[in-house]
Amino acid sequence: MTKRGAINLLLILPGLLAACGSAPAPRPPLAIEQARAADKNARKALRDGELLRAQHDFATTLVLQQSLDDTAGAATTLINLATVTHQLRDDEASLASLDKILQEKQAIYPPESQLTAAFRKAVILTDLSRLSEAEPALQYAENLCGKKCALNFGIEALRARMLLLNGDAEGALALAQAVSKQSEAGKEEQANALRVAATAEEKLARSASAMQHFQAALEMDKALGLSARIGDDLNGMARVSAQLGRDSEAAEYSRRAVLVDEAHRQSVPAP
Amino acid sequence: MTLLDDKDERFKNLFGKAAVFVLLAALGMGLALVWAGVKKDAFTAKSPVHFVADSGQDLSVGMPVKFSGFKIGKLNTLTLDEQGHVQVTVDIDSKYLGLIRQDAVMSLKKEGVIGDGVLEIGRGAEDKPVLASGGRVRFERVNGLEQAVVEVKDRIMPILDDIHQTLHDPDGDVRQTLKNLREFSAEMRVTREKLDRVLGKIDGNINSEVEPLLHSLRLSAANAETLSGKLDYELPVLLNKADTTMENLRQASETIKDAVQRSAPQLPGVISETHATLGKTQKLIGDTQEAVDTLSTHWPLKSDAPAPETGPVRMDSHD
Repeated sequence: MTKRGAINLLLILPGLLAACGSAPAPRPPLAIEQARAADKNARKALRDGELLRAQHDFATTLVLQQSLDDTAGAATTLINLATVTHQLRDDEASLASLDKILQEKQAIYPPESQLTAAFRKAVILTDLSRLSEAEPALQYAENLCGKKCALNFGIEALRARMLLLNGDAEGALALAQAVSKQSEAGKEEQANALRVAATAEEKLARSASAMQHFQAALEMDKALGLSARIGDDLNGMARVSAQLGRDSEAAEYSRRAVLVDEAHRQSVPAP
Repeated sequence: MTLLDDKDERFKNLFGKAAVFVLLAALGMGLALVWAGVKKDAFTAKSPVHFVADSGQDLSVGMPVKFSGFKIGKLNTLTLDEQGHVQVTVDIDSKYLGLIRQDAVMSLKKEGVIGDGVLEIGRGAEDKPVLASGGRVRFERVNGLEQAVVEVKDRIMPILDDIHQTLHDPDGDVRQTLKNLREFSAEMRVTREKLDRVLGKIDGNINSEVEPLLHSLRLSAANAETLSGKLDYELPVLLNKADTTMENLRQASETIKDAVQRSAPQLPGVISETHATLGKTQKLIGDTQEAVDTLSTHWPLKSDAPAPETGPVRMDSHD
């Protein structure tokens, strides 16, 4: 390359670099930006455990999205608002938010939002032991899912839990074991399924396998850092140990469960 | 024959010069006369036209004769015949005679309301033959202001006579109406007297009923005055109580102030500690923000930043 060629290359190179750079993305309109910012703030507040702030910000997001006719976004925010409200122990308000999606007569909300809303409604009603009301909600979710959706394993885990609560320990055990073996189900649902299976086995007086499943669930929940579930697992292990006649072991698990619960209550900010 | 021996050169041909001067003067006078004759239509061919007028009033020799507003001739002679009729002859320029038909009418008009009289000849019917020289036309007078006044007088006088008759007829409508009005007025006077008596009675009734009402109103006013007196007496007491309350409040305020002053020495320490904590927190937030900003602008992290969450927040079957 001659000296003149090198100079030409040096002159052209900055131009080529500038041409390669993509144009900056245009800034969205103010209202859309506000809705996104409110949603982002709400999610951050939820991560930080500031549930009331998260609830307020999700409510703000919802209004902004509805004002922009963002029905899909509004449906997601209604689900998020219901989830936060459930965490604040205001289950009636939570169910009301979900019903806004489920009882909408016009098909303005996407089917996946309806599926998620139905599933979460079933979970909340199961938590409240309102199984007769939870059943149609779960059935609706199952129909929308058709065993093909991402929530399929969650639905099956919940089904197993409901079977157990309805006294069908055998059915619950079979379904829970099937879910617990599916790696696609995710660690949370696998741990949930193991806990259901262990509780079913506890009911069926299969203490050894119950202890084994509680132990597996405990390890998973510890890995996931889910304090409330760890407490449940330890309590289950205490009960099974007592069934097995290992009282000192039962007392130890029970004590650990109490410590976990106390610490968890202290770590979670008051709503 | 030479009478004088003209030796002065200026008198040579004097006669000839005087003759030229006189001839020029005569020629000028002649031209002036011709010009005047032309102006006076003395050389224009005229055609006489005759008509008979009822009287010679407003007619005079030399009066212009007009056709469509243009002067086409003038009144030439005005004579009274043996029957007492006025025979009038007008001379019309012969060149305009062809415009006038035999049934044309000669009208005597006034120029303006009170102007001079003028003869106006009409065109006549188109289907009639052209008026010949020496022909006769019909004459009429167009009513002037005087005639109009006479006509108005002739019309108004009978009306005035009728009005006079109507007003003075004892059995006429006007007299009868006036008589009726007089009677009605007398009746109205009687009616008014009756009304006065009725109103007097009403007045008496109102006085007898309204007076008690006024009396009770006076009593109410007296009660209000009493109440006002009571308020005058009680308000100072209430104000004194309010003063006492305000004094109590002031004392409470001073107590609080003392308490604050007593704890004041401890406050700067607490405030300085809070300040220090806030400063540290702000510094920490600032450092974190700076670190995040710095990292986010660097190429390796810029494109690998996690996409913002958009879906529903996490919740499983046991939440």
